[in-house]
Amino acid sequence: MKATTVLIGNFGSGKSELALNLAMRSVRGGSSTVLVDLDIINPYFRSAERKHMLEQNGVKLIYPTYAMTGVESPTVPPDVYSVFIDEHETVLFDVGGDPSGAVALGQFKRNFDELGQLHVLCVVNCMRPFSATLEQNLTMMAQIQTRCRLAITGIVNNANLSYETTPQVIAEGYSMVERISRETGIPVVMTSGMKAPLSGFVRLARELELDPSYMGETYEIERYMRRDWESFTTLGI
Amino acid sequence: MAKKLMKGCEAVAEAAIQAGCRFFFGYPITPQNDIPEYMSARLPKVGGCFLQAESEVAAINMVYGASGSGARVMTSSSSPGVSLKMEGISYLAAAELPCVIVNMMRGGPGLGSIQASQGDYFQTTKGGGHGDYHVIALAPSSVQEAIDLMQDAFDLADVYRTPVMMLADGIIGQMMEPVEFHPAESKRVLPEKTWAAKGWDAASGRPRAIINSLYIETEELQELNDRLQARYDAIKANETRCELYNCDNAEIILTAYGTISRICKSAIALAAQEGIKVGLVRPITIWPFPTQEVHDVICAPNVKAALNVEVSAGQMLEDVRLAVNGEKTVEFLGRPGSFVPTAEDILNRIKEMRRA
Repeated sequence: MKATTVLIGNFGSGKSELALNLAMRSVRGGSSTVLVDLDIINPYFRSAERKHMLEQNGVKLIYPTYAMTGVESPTVPPDVYSVFIDEHETVLFDVGGDPSGAVALGQFKRNFDELGQLHVLCVVNCMRPFSATLEQNLTMMAQIQTRCRLAITGIVNNANLSYETTPQVIAEGYSMVERISRETGIPVVMTSGMKAPLSGFVRLARELELDPSYMGETYEIERYMRRDWESFTTLGI
Repeated sequence: MAKKLMKGCEAVAEAAIQAGCRFFFGYPITPQNDIPEYMSARLPKVGGCFLQAESEVAAINMVYGASGSGARVMTSSSSPGVSLKMEGISYLAAAELPCVIVNMMRGGPGLGSIQASQGDYFQTTKGGGHGDYHVIALAPSSVQEAIDLMQDAFDLADVYRTPVMMLADGIIGQMMEPVEFHPAESKRVLPEKTWAAKGWDAASGRPRAIINSLYIETEELQELNDRLQARYDAIKANETRCELYNCDNAEIILTAYGTISRICKSAIALAAQEGIKVGLVRPITIWPFPTQEVHDVICAPNVKAALNVEVSAGQMLEDVRLAVNGEKTVEFLGRPGSFVPTAEDILNRIKEMRRA
């Protein structure tokens, strides 16, 4: 059966990085995988920028016609419809940030409704400016659900400060997603992060006796979206 | 305050709001779009006004109006959009109006590309608009520095009654970095805006405030120009800033501004591993240009030559060469457009220069 995962969330919450990780892990696990880059908001930092890597590893990539051409024309590619009926076992949607990005999903509601298995994951990085409070997150989630006409089924704690992420940062994310989950009844399905801070967080969580039901799967992120400028200075920034 | 993960554009917008900016007028263009987007979300919540104008020309003239009434006001754009604002910037300079203009540079000339570039150095520092005017131009090299400069950008504008431009490449605008905001504090004594047109009544005893850039009488225009030039001299004397990095006993000196200076720092570290001592002069104000500092560092006896690195055909290069005035060789590494050199490119060039 097809397993379809849709990643939504605030702009800059880490959806594309997570989408690339899910795609690479899925295809390495032997599942035929398609990644749909449905970002119609931002011409930069899109999962399709890793087209070469994805295709080399056997992930099929669908992305807006003009993406990565320098032309900023927000178009939804027609071949998106194919993923609802073709033979791929794993389908991942990397959606543009904020409610305005989620609009691109609305037109596929009927197709999504017919799917057997659909996960709609809201990626939360509470270190980003418009995701810092419970109210901001709840408002954003409600607006996204209205725009994309899909119900969020799971929350991902992706709290990070890029290369300055510490276990404490992920712990701050934990308390944010715990509050969101308690308020909405939507389960936390994943805590994601890079190896060092994530394993540090797992230790910290044990010490602090945090409730594992608000952590979900701990998911180690590999940096595929790493930018050249992070190596601009070897001396720290 | 706790750190946040912010894009350069978002950070610049937030820093402006924290510096007291309550009015933003702009028109969309990549890669600065996140500034108006952020302003449109935040300004109404702090009692400010965001307005998307019908064009860049309209936006800069709205800035003129808001500033003329004494408001802290800002606009932003990227290269072609800034070109459209140039007439208005000249008017702002002539009317002695404070404001902040952010340019997140993209590839040019023409519509160019949406990738980062440094092709607007000439436009920013040598006028851009018409007439004998300057704007104070600040060139941050990180998202944090863009935040830290913003409070002073508004203060400088008020103190000297001049437009201040923040010139950053699109990389600064688009990259996300962990940043911190410190409570906005003015380090300067800000003059009262007695010149602002805020409504006049006869009882006040003061003359009417007239915001104007038209001086029909030759003598009046001369007075304005003399006043502006005296002010520019004061700015040059008091507000020139640069970072000197690793310059003591260096045999090669790099000059670069903005993000490219960070690549230079990586190249300096690579060179050090090979026993080559390289330093960097990084202008933080590109107008006024740190002429004296650049001269003194490059013309030190131990320095063999200098290398200016830019994503342009060599614009700041001219100011570096003027500063050095033929006393030392200043070479150039860079390409116009959007190809950003790597630390290895710079290191290879340094090695070539040593062999020569």
